[in-house]
Amino acid sequence: MALTTIGSSSEAAVEASVAAALSGRRADVRGRAFELGLLASLLVCLILLGVLIASVLADGLPVYGDRGWEFLDGGLSRRPDEAGISQGLIGSMWIAVAVVVIAFPMGIGAAVYLEEYAPRNRITAFIELNIRNLAGVPSVVYGLLGLAIFVEAMSGFAGAEGVARRTLLAGGVTLAVLVLPIVIITTAEAIRAVPQSLREGAFGAGATRWEVIRTVVLPYAAPGIFTGALLSIARAVGEAAPLIVVGAITGFSSLGVGLNPGNVLDPSALPERFTAMPAVITAWAKLPNDEFNRINTAGAIIGMLVFVVLINAIAIVLRNHFEKKRTV
Amino acid sequence: MTTATLTPSDPAGAPFDLSGDPRRHRRERLMRTLFLAAAAASLLVTTLILVSLFSNGWRFFTEVVWSQVYDSNAWNPRQSSFSITTVLAGSVIVTGIAMLVAAPLGLAAAVYLSEYARPRVRSVLKPILEVLAAIPSVVLGFFALQWIAPNVVGTLFGEEAGRGGSMMAAGIGVGFLTIPLVASVSEDAMRAVPDSLRQASAGLGARRMSTTVRVVLPAAISGIVAALILAFSRAIGETMVVFIAGGASDTARFTTDPLDGTLTITAAMASLAVGTDRVVGGGLTVESLYFLGIVLFFFTLTLNLIGDRFVRRIRQVY
Amino acid sequence: MQSINKRRLAWLSMIVAFGLIAAACGDDDDDAGADTGGDTGSEDEGGGEVSGDIQISGSSTVEPITAIVAEEFDGQNDTNTFVDGPGTGDGFELFCAGETDVSDASRPIEDDEVATCEENGIEYTELLVAYDGMAVMTNANNDQAPECLSFADLYAMIGPEAEGISTWADAQAVASELGSTTELPDVELALTGPGQESGTYDSFIEIALEGIAEERGQEPTTRTDYDANADDNIIISNIESADSSLGWVGFAFAEEAGDAVTEMPISEEPGGECVAPSDETISDQTYPLSRPLFIYINNANAEESPALAAFVDFYLADLNTFVEEAGYVTLPDETVADTVSTWEAR
Repeated sequence: MALTTIGSSSEAAVEASVAAALSGRRADVRGRAFELGLLASLLVCLILLGVLIASVLADGLPVYGDRGWEFLDGGLSRRPDEAGISQGLIGSMWIAVAVVVIAFPMGIGAAVYLEEYAPRNRITAFIELNIRNLAGVPSVVYGLLGLAIFVEAMSGFAGAEGVARRTLLAGGVTLAVLVLPIVIITTAEAIRAVPQSLREGAFGAGATRWEVIRTVVLPYAAPGIFTGALLSIARAVGEAAPLIVVGAITGFSSLGVGLNPGNVLDPSALPERFTAMPAVITAWAKLPNDEFNRINTAGAIIGMLVFVVLINAIAIVLRNHFEKKRTV
Repeated sequence: MTTATLTPSDPAGAPFDLSGDPRRHRRERLMRTLFLAAAAASLLVTTLILVSLFSNGWRFFTEVVWSQVYDSNAWNPRQSSFSITTVLAGSVIVTGIAMLVAAPLGLAAAVYLSEYARPRVRSVLKPILEVLAAIPSVVLGFFALQWIAPNVVGTLFGEEAGRGGSMMAAGIGVGFLTIPLVASVSEDAMRAVPDSLRQASAGLGARRMSTTVRVVLPAAISGIVAALILAFSRAIGETMVVFIAGGASDTARFTTDPLDGTLTITAAMASLAVGTDRVVGGGLTVESLYFLGIVLFFFTLTLNLIGDRFVRRIRQVY
Repeated sequence: MQSINKRRLAWLSMIVAFGLIAAACGDDDDDAGADTGGDTGSEDEGGGEVSGDIQISGSSTVEPITAIVAEEFDGQNDTNTFVDGPGTGDGFELFCAGETDVSDASRPIEDDEVATCEENGIEYTELLVAYDGMAVMTNANNDQAPECLSFADLYAMIGPEAEGISTWADAQAVASELGSTTELPDVELALTGPGQESGTYDSFIEIALEGIAEERGQEPTTRTDYDANADDNIIISNIESADSSLGWVGFAFAEEAGDAVTEMPISEEPGGECVAPSDETISDQTYPLSRPLFIYINNANAEESPALAAFVDFYLADLNTFVEEAGYVTLPDETVADTVSTWEAR
């Protein structure tokens, strides 16, 4: 993509373009074709998405029709008509919480430091390179990291031993670490897009750097930050490989079944063994009977997508709110 | 946007003491330290990863018979066949296909949403695109195998190719997964280009396409390149889609035919790490997992170094 | 304007805090009050109810049985039984490191695993709980498929010397050398099956290929160029999608697969008795590709934890009911009695 500015096109082309615009007669064929091409690309994505969702809905909605709330409220079971996703949903919820509590402050803080405070020297460049590298490390490696360090750490923490150390807390922290680089990169990009003129205006009024960040930079960058937040939660909640390496249950557990508020918000689930939606989906998809591998799996996928969409919806609302406040 | 307030601290009547309230300075230093700590934490993560990778992977380097790496033409760790070029070729091909899918579609979507779509249309379409981002890679893996393989690969390349997994099916799946990442980050970069530039361009008589291509895109280039780099990293690191739809499970022979099935570095790692039945005699099986992790780590490091150079040259600040 | 936002924030936090407090005080009837870690439980004098945690891992083949038992057991007791299925080998690794109480296995424990257990002072009891068969299957449209396949034919098509062959007939040479008289058709051999992470893979080699491989001085392994997959459902769909495919999966999966695939009768010796897989032939071991399923119990933990001991008692008391429900093949009554006495004699 060549870097051109407005002034460098040939005079003839500019004149022709202006003439065409002023006369308003000649239809802008190229422009329309371009626009339609773009729209077509967007529609291809949406259509494929539609196909995906349609096939999932076709297989999975009957589960809700037949069993409704019971499917959401039930737990892991060998009997397909008793199996439910409550433990998976609760596990995924706590993972999302871990991401918000751990990855967001650390990630946004790191990005702010790198963009606003850090001097433009080689150490900073090294840190930034390091972060971009971390974003490309496969999720399996984070799973290994989680197993080697966070699960081990559980020994001292909850007095657990052996396999019982493979707790929801360890899993949540592992996934928070996995998405940390994404949060940093997208936040940094959003901050970089803040016009310098705004910052300088605030400095001119006597603000300290932190005050500039708090009052000018972060509000302006908020939409971009929320986009990154959205992507990272979706990523964290959807990853299966690290969960399985860290030890999410794919077989059976009777712990924590039920979608009542007492159970959902019960933090005593954290130092216990756990499961989460991607692990449930993976496990069910591999079972032999059709009821599990097609129907229940599709039902679980629907449950998981609705869950993620809800989280995304909150983030979108927040983002739009901040976007409106942006006047430049 | 609220403006900062000045705090006069001299009660004797002098207008403003520009040295400022010590509390503000303390707060300033505190925040700076906090942010520095956050940035340092990211270094800690890398250190931890490198430590866990190398402490286990070192055994591989010291004990492997290197002919098993160079001379073999298959990745079969349990039978001591460690052809790194096989899995590397798999990674490159799958990622390449993914980028060919994600970059044009994602950028096109971003340009449309940012420059052309009316606000109401945008407020409907953008969230839908982000639903795509929320789809777990496992789901997309099954979709790639069950639908993309027969219907897309099969239609384009013949029925035989569409049966079962292949690099092409997995690549398209990974690309599809990555589109929202490209679209979202690019779009934010484009939206952040000040309207004043667009208005200036329109004022000179340029139509929307020219404005978009000649003004907005160059202005947003650093964001777009960041999006592409992020997407590339995501594509290379993608595990489950390839594991399910890539056409091979634990072993792979060297091939560069995208219609074949093979393993990428990540899928090979997944098959080692996710449920193993030890075959007696496979001495370095577990260590090969860490070996792959090290290879991938430095592979992406090199790519990022190259991308880094590119971004630095083009960044423009407004 | 800032004060309004602050007030809103304050209200919001109060509501959230209130909600959390209400939730924490809410009913946790489904939370069985688990102890963290540790295997010690307590015995309740009431109705023989026990409490405690039980950690089980191992074969994904045996997992369905154990999970059914666990579900019933947890329903009747104040216990949390965690069942997972990463694979027989992984299960033994955890078991011999003392991390799990029970290990599910679709093959007997191997020598190096025994050594590890000994090193770590883990004493265990091996209990035979069920049989499983491995069904060799082809596409239902494959009308040229032979009536019966012997181990020799399987070796010729799937073993290490089969590397590179692409039709059934290509394997004729090796099969004939081994004494097979089967006529292998000249159709494409689209081979699919489990990968090396699976116990089904191990068992197949051990039963069908190892003996012949050793006789011929070859590695006891399969060819590397087949469509290996961890997911049995994908193996089935691979078989369904190629007209002259060949593959092998656990019998339970084969039974669920439906009419698009055909299970092939197998004979151990070339020209020997040809047996098709079924519940009866697997149970009385006349089907050549049948294998035993085990659970291994950590003796020390069974001593310490009444919950674990009660769990195994419960497992064995209704063993065949559980096995049948899981879709596997039950042991004959005498064999069940043997297992029970092994357990009681630990």
